[in-house]
Amino acid sequence: MDKAVVSIFKLIKAPIYSHCLSQDKSLLAITCENKCLIYKINPASKTPQLVATLDNHDKTVTAVDISIHGRIVTCSQDRNAYVWEPLSDGTYRPTLVLLRINRAATCVSWAPNGYKFAVGSSARIIAVCYYEQENNWWVSKHIKKPIKSTINSLSWHYNGVLLASGGTDGFMRIFSGFIKGLDSKEIMANSPWGSKFPFGTLVREQYCGGAYIHDVQWRSNVEKVAFVTHDGTLNILDYQGTLQSVNSPDGLPYKSLLWVNDHEILCAGYNCHPTMFSESSQGWKFSRDYDKVAVSNILKDSSNNLNTNPSNQQFNNSLNNDNVNDDENPTFGISALKKFKELDLKGKVSLEQKEGAHENTIVGLIPFVESNGQITQVSSCGLDGKVVIYNI
Amino acid sequence: MSDWRRIDIDAFDPDSRLTAEDLIPSYDRQITLEELQPKMQQLRTLSSGGDTRNAIHLITQDPPYSADDNTKDLYFQVVLETLCQVRQVDIANIVKELNTEQQVVLVKYLYKGMSLPEGQKQGGILLAWFEKLTQSNGITPIVHYLSDRRNV
Amino acid sequence: MSQSLRPYLTAVRHSLEAALTLSNFSSQEVERHNRPEIEVPIQSAELLLQPMHISRNEHEQVLIEPSVNSVRVNIMVKQADEIEQILVHKFTRFLEQRAEAFYILRRVPIKGYSISFLITNKHTESMKNGKLIDFIIEFMEEVDKEISEMKLFLNARARFVAEEYLSEFVY
Repeated sequence: MDKAVVSIFKLIKAPIYSHCLSQDKSLLAITCENKCLIYKINPASKTPQLVATLDNHDKTVTAVDISIHGRIVTCSQDRNAYVWEPLSDGTYRPTLVLLRINRAATCVSWAPNGYKFAVGSSARIIAVCYYEQENNWWVSKHIKKPIKSTINSLSWHYNGVLLASGGTDGFMRIFSGFIKGLDSKEIMANSPWGSKFPFGTLVREQYCGGAYIHDVQWRSNVEKVAFVTHDGTLNILDYQGTLQSVNSPDGLPYKSLLWVNDHEILCAGYNCHPTMFSESSQGWKFSRDYDKVAVSNILKDSSNNLNTNPSNQQFNNSLNNDNVNDDENPTFGISALKKFKELDLKGKVSLEQKEGAHENTIVGLIPFVESNGQITQVSSCGLDGKVVIYNI
Repeated sequence: MSDWRRIDIDAFDPDSRLTAEDLIPSYDRQITLEELQPKMQQLRTLSSGGDTRNAIHLITQDPPYSADDNTKDLYFQVVLETLCQVRQVDIANIVKELNTEQQVVLVKYLYKGMSLPEGQKQGGILLAWFEKLTQSNGITPIVHYLSDRRNV
Repeated sequence: MSQSLRPYLTAVRHSLEAALTLSNFSSQEVERHNRPEIEVPIQSAELLLQPMHISRNEHEQVLIEPSVNSVRVNIMVKQADEIEQILVHKFTRFLEQRAEAFYILRRVPIKGYSISFLITNKHTESMKNGKLIDFIIEFMEEVDKEISEMKLFLNARARFVAEEYLSEFVY
């Protein structure tokens, strides 16, 4: 195991689509099919302990987020979202959110102040939801235009007004999620992104080739937004409109990204291990891989199977010559024996394969330990049902 | 109407869904066959003169994305001829000189070639190109190809 | 393995590696449905990605059709003569009738191809991508071998039967 890997929690036997930590990093929430599981992270005992199961949804839960006040919001492909209020006895009380969408909810994100959240959906709508005291409801306002397809990811600027979104239509868009009565106009006074931000305004639109956008993240203090797309690139946009793109070194697209500090971004996705990109005077570029054992090994093994290796090729050629002879005077005994030998060989190869911490696509990255704006440990969740903590 | 249940009502909603045409970026103007003729002529001269390296560079730069299908097909015949002219031993070196953008264009031509009968006859050569391309650049150009909506 | 089979399979392998980048994607068209977008007749165009056509010659081709949450892999198996056509048909039919045992096998191949696989995000979530690709590549390697073996076997048997039958008439 790579030394960057601090711990591996194999939590469930199903893909985790989203995970998140509470403000004090004591609670871990993961999605598991149509439930959301809450674990207590105990530094003493290594494995997290299951403390609550939130199971009001009847379709796959797609995303979960915890606000700074400890409220949990879950959204699901059943078109609903619930806000779970923590009670003193450790249970949670659900409140249905009036999303008013008629397709799946795909992603959810609390605004930094914890008084509103945004839900992305397959209905080509972003619903910004807030609590209405007089009705005792979570109600929503919709952002519709000009979204053309499913929203995959949402991210709030630290000011809680600018909302970045990305989806399958290949546009990264920044909207205003300004809610009267919740947000103050003063906070936006000197924003480099514009001067007026009524709700639903399209502040910025960035098209890059039409590839799906899998994840969007703000870095508020440098006024930049980064996003990863399905053509295997990491893109960074600043308020002046300068867009920088950098290719993933092994080609595979990323599903998730995380700003480690102002000049470093960690990405992870289909290659099953995190990759660091850093900014220098020459712009953004690949800096290093973490826990890369698995991928290189699999690649090597697969190329062996394919005989790109010259020595292997010879070996296989000789095997195949035998095959030709076999065909001429079919002796089934020997060919069966050879088949078993081949199977035996293949079995060995797969056993020798070293595994990385994640065995399948990583879909989420969140900060685990943070000090002075620098993230030192990150937590990732993957389709293999694992949560892994990496040292950065 | 008896099969009214089967009517796709969403099709009548103008912003319901994206069509294939919506995805292709709009071009300022369409390039015509006449405008492409000099380039095709130049390609023929280069490849018959044995300067395959420059011919490949010419192919992979500024492909006629905006042309209509018929023009693209005619142009592709020249591209295919050029690709087949290159000697096997030179392929690896030429591929190494291409930048990412050019590699994606090359991958587009290779996949297109293999989908057409005339290209399938040359399957071995196109596959050799493909092999050299992935050997030096991995699957990066293929991943780019997947999401790129501009067709050659 | 002949010389040109290797680049053919390499090309298929790399194309599959790139295509097997699937997400869980709920339908945009129908409420509360989650279906393989590549199999849906009317749909949003952005959910389909560029198809990849890989051919060794006119008779051996693979068409990979990727989409946001599913990939269809269509294989055209070499059929040199009528006997091989019959054998391929019988062989693929045999497999397709047992499709549930193969998980990723499509029950009916799409038009013009001998056999089709349908890989969805469910498969890539529960199985390793590398192994899925290995399976398809191995299938492509084996199927040619299998067909030519069956053909030889069939010829031998036919000769034997014919000899037996005709020997009746020898006095």
